[in-house]
Amino acid sequence: MPGTLSWEASRRRAYLTGLVPALVVLAVITVVPTLFLAGASLTPLSLVDPASLFDFSNPLRNYAELLHDPRFLGSLVMQLQLSALTVTLQLAVGLGLALLLNVRSSFFEAIRTVFLIPMVLPPIVVALIWKIIYTPDVSPLHRFLDFVGLPADSFITSASTALLAVAVADTWQWFPFTMLMILATLQMIPNEPLEAAKIDGANHWQTFRYIIFAYIRPALIVSGLFRLIDSFKAFPLIYVLTDGGPGSATEVTNYYAFVQAFNFSYWGYASAIAIVLLTGVFTLSWAAGRLGWNGDEGE
Amino acid sequence: MTDITDIIRFRSGNAPLALRWPTQRFLVRVGLHVLVAVLALMVLLPFLWLVQMSLRPEDEIFSDAVLFTPTLENYRALWQGNFAGSFLNSLAVSSLSTGLSLLLGVPAAYVLTRWRFKGRARVALWILTTRMAPPIAFTIPFFLAYRVLGLQDTVWGLALIYMTFNLSIVIWFMQTFFAAIPESLEEAAWIDGCGVWRAFWLVTLPLAAPGLAATAVFCFIFSWSDFFYALILTRTNAMTAPVAIVNFLQYEGWEWGKIAASGTLVMLPVLIFTLLVRKYFVHGLTAGGLKE
Amino acid sequence: MFQTRNFSRRRVLQGAGLLVGGLLLPGKAPAQGGAKRLAGVTLNVSTFSAPFPKILIKWLPEFEQLTGAKVVYDTPSFPVYNQRADLELSTGGSAYDVVNVTFIYSSRWINAGWLTPLDDFIRDPNKTPADWDVDDFLPGLRAPETGKDGKLYGIPWSVDTFISAAARFDLFKDAGLGFPDTTDDLFDTLKATHGKDKVAGFVTDNHYGWSFVPFLQAFGGNVFRNPPDDLTPVLDTPEAIAAAEYFARIVKDFGPNGAISYTPDQVVKALQSGRVNYSAIGQTYLAQLGDSGSKVAGTSAFGLAPRGPAGRFPGVAVHGLGIPAASKNKEAAWTFIQWALSKQNTRRALVEENLASPTRRSDFESPEFKTSSTINGYDIAGIVRESIDISAKGGYMKYRTVPVYPQVDQQLNKAIANIASGQLSARQAMEQAQAGSIAELKRAGVAL
Repeated sequence: MPGTLSWEASRRRAYLTGLVPALVVLAVITVVPTLFLAGASLTPLSLVDPASLFDFSNPLRNYAELLHDPRFLGSLVMQLQLSALTVTLQLAVGLGLALLLNVRSSFFEAIRTVFLIPMVLPPIVVALIWKIIYTPDVSPLHRFLDFVGLPADSFITSASTALLAVAVADTWQWFPFTMLMILATLQMIPNEPLEAAKIDGANHWQTFRYIIFAYIRPALIVSGLFRLIDSFKAFPLIYVLTDGGPGSATEVTNYYAFVQAFNFSYWGYASAIAIVLLTGVFTLSWAAGRLGWNGDEGE
Repeated sequence: MTDITDIIRFRSGNAPLALRWPTQRFLVRVGLHVLVAVLALMVLLPFLWLVQMSLRPEDEIFSDAVLFTPTLENYRALWQGNFAGSFLNSLAVSSLSTGLSLLLGVPAAYVLTRWRFKGRARVALWILTTRMAPPIAFTIPFFLAYRVLGLQDTVWGLALIYMTFNLSIVIWFMQTFFAAIPESLEEAAWIDGCGVWRAFWLVTLPLAAPGLAATAVFCFIFSWSDFFYALILTRTNAMTAPVAIVNFLQYEGWEWGKIAASGTLVMLPVLIFTLLVRKYFVHGLTAGGLKE
Repeated sequence: MFQTRNFSRRRVLQGAGLLVGGLLLPGKAPAQGGAKRLAGVTLNVSTFSAPFPKILIKWLPEFEQLTGAKVVYDTPSFPVYNQRADLELSTGGSAYDVVNVTFIYSSRWINAGWLTPLDDFIRDPNKTPADWDVDDFLPGLRAPETGKDGKLYGIPWSVDTFISAAARFDLFKDAGLGFPDTTDDLFDTLKATHGKDKVAGFVTDNHYGWSFVPFLQAFGGNVFRNPPDDLTPVLDTPEAIAAAEYFARIVKDFGPNGAISYTPDQVVKALQSGRVNYSAIGQTYLAQLGDSGSKVAGTSAFGLAPRGPAGRFPGVAVHGLGIPAASKNKEAAWTFIQWALSKQNTRRALVEENLASPTRRSDFESPEFKTSSTINGYDIAGIVRESIDISAKGGYMKYRTVPVYPQVDQQLNKAIANIASGQLSARQAMEQAQAGSIAELKRAGVAL
């Protein structure tokens, strides 16, 4: 019977049976590989010489090498640039569209569904779409630019525009995410403060700055953080559009790790890069957790 | 709720909607609709371009003509190659992965909602961070392990590694759906003599069924869309549709018609499923994302 | 009574079913003679996308009919193929039964023991017909497929020599110029004709670790100091920097839009459709200028790779078909290889499909090759033969069969791309390639 001690005990047991299998599986598929990764990062593991997995003679060699590897350091700069670009663009476009679409009508509800489409497309299809747009031979964009008399060089083979081209494609794919989060918050803003502001004679810029912004700030931060964490995982776009190029202009850290691991099987070195990435991602996740996203009130 | 017409209203003074400047307000409202429609079209343009390319006959791909007679030739050619097999692989892997994740994740989500134990927040945090790691971190150890276990290039192998993100999605989403169900209903069942899980099965789960369906769809979509794991961990037997597309991209001749057709085919299931669960998108995104 | 009637009717139906079923089953009809040796076997073949694999894919139904095996033939692009094959072979995978032994990886793969020696298959009369004649394959082409232990690990299917062609030679003639022979001539000719008639001047494929090295050596530079003994990279010498500057300049200034993303197939398409004029690339690609779909068959001209201040160094690359050490269908794999490269089939590829890279002496010296490889009056077979002779005498291709060359190959790809896209000067890019190569060699365990 609920309320008795034996009931509580059996309840706890029931809960454990429900929770533990999932935790065990999760631990096996995430914690164990991470430990292996950390271990491998201390070795010069390369598949040409499998025994090197157990060579711990110079554990920090990979990390020391990373500090002097200009391609790695360059990749960090690229990564930060790409992340900054994509997050800013996605927040800006998302905010703009959210403000615009914040109208209660069936037409706008339908339009909102249309705007969802880029986000749900498989990333490889998005990469394909933008590969077509960025290939001068078949691109509607290039054809249009030629038509209006502004012929342009291929955006993905020019070092100055390659990263921006990737960022634009990424924004097209993910702006619905920020837009939806901001829109949801906008729709929850109560009427009273707005009415009060109107009575006090505030113009709409002041209303936005002092009232609306305060309400959507958590959404902006949370969606920004989510997009930031996801930006570290950028892969299909770069793989299809630029292959890290031209040269190394779009070779972000995640991509560099891929190249090191799967071109010449330098798994020790790639593991070290992956560990660096993981540390960065976990730090950001922890920050996201602290900013109150984890869905629990006050725990 | 505030909307743009309210803002406009108060710029033009406090008169009630019906009286002051009705034409101006009407025009603005129409203008807004037009603007939004145009923006939606612009956003859709890249996607529509792909679809129209898939229907273009091969010899007209480079032509400047805007109108053409649509043909299903590209799709037919696709289906005769290896693409059909990879499509079925995608189906198999996505279904398997969704099933496994639901099996393990739904009970776990329920427990995390109902049982307030110490360290619960930390466990919840850990579960979510597993989803955040860049795939490269898992592929290296998994590749080696699969080589030893013989799971390389198998449907089960892929389904297993997909749990690294699907399991946490299931737990995260279902938590919010379960939280919306009042505990009193379950307590009533407990008083009637039901065990915890029996009550869950008879009372909670039916009520959470729409949420369950939506979560299943999300898991399916994420599994279907994965590219990186499939690229590294499959070769010929278990190759999934996204990897098959990339193979096309690298075939010579750059058969754009077939490439576009393959892209369109791969996104079709996802689009259909999304339309089915679009109501839950906002719910899923924001639930637990913001303090209310 | 009733039962007997049913019984006999059922019997008749059963018999009819078996008969019909038997007729429908492929390959089991009694009328066909000969056993289907490989019935039920699925063979996984993978090579990079190239003309000969395309021909094989076309002929696959014949092989499947002959042996009862099912063949899955995967042809990714060159860099993707190499990456996948390297990963598969290095982890002892059995996903592929027949692989391409890529020239730059041949030393790495063979000497690490990742491929199966083929000598026993060749010698066994049950597996290989007597007239298959492995010695018919040019010895110079079998050499890179041979391991340090003297065993043969791959059968050459393609020899790619670096030659040059002008798809719109009429534009050169209109400008009063002939076919450029030296690197200076080339630069002047391109400068005079780039953009005329909306035709870009120059394009080559973006595998610069292959297309740049003939120019590198023509300017007096080299990749390693003295391969295979001294593997110190020498990519930052003044000659190397000058070569890089020259090459990147003609790629960028005289190339079509997006030139540094052009794969060999895009190059062929661009040349065939007359959008670009001059190219220096492997002859397997340039020979396609004479194909039926090509718009430039009547205006093409061909010649040797350009000569620089230090001489002429046409690149020669050999690719072979091999069997991974961990394959589970080695016999079937060998059946496929000896079918694909049998005398009948190689001659057929030459005659019916105009394949321009024969590896058998009998094909090379055949009159059919001479006719099929003459385009617009130019004797491509002769140019190829001359290039191979130059390479055999010069020995300058040794850099390419060094086991750690693939790493340097990628450094060169990036270096030229960096210069051509304006990110680095030639000096900076080559110095970076030099430092990167040294780091990679160290990581691969090479003592410098």
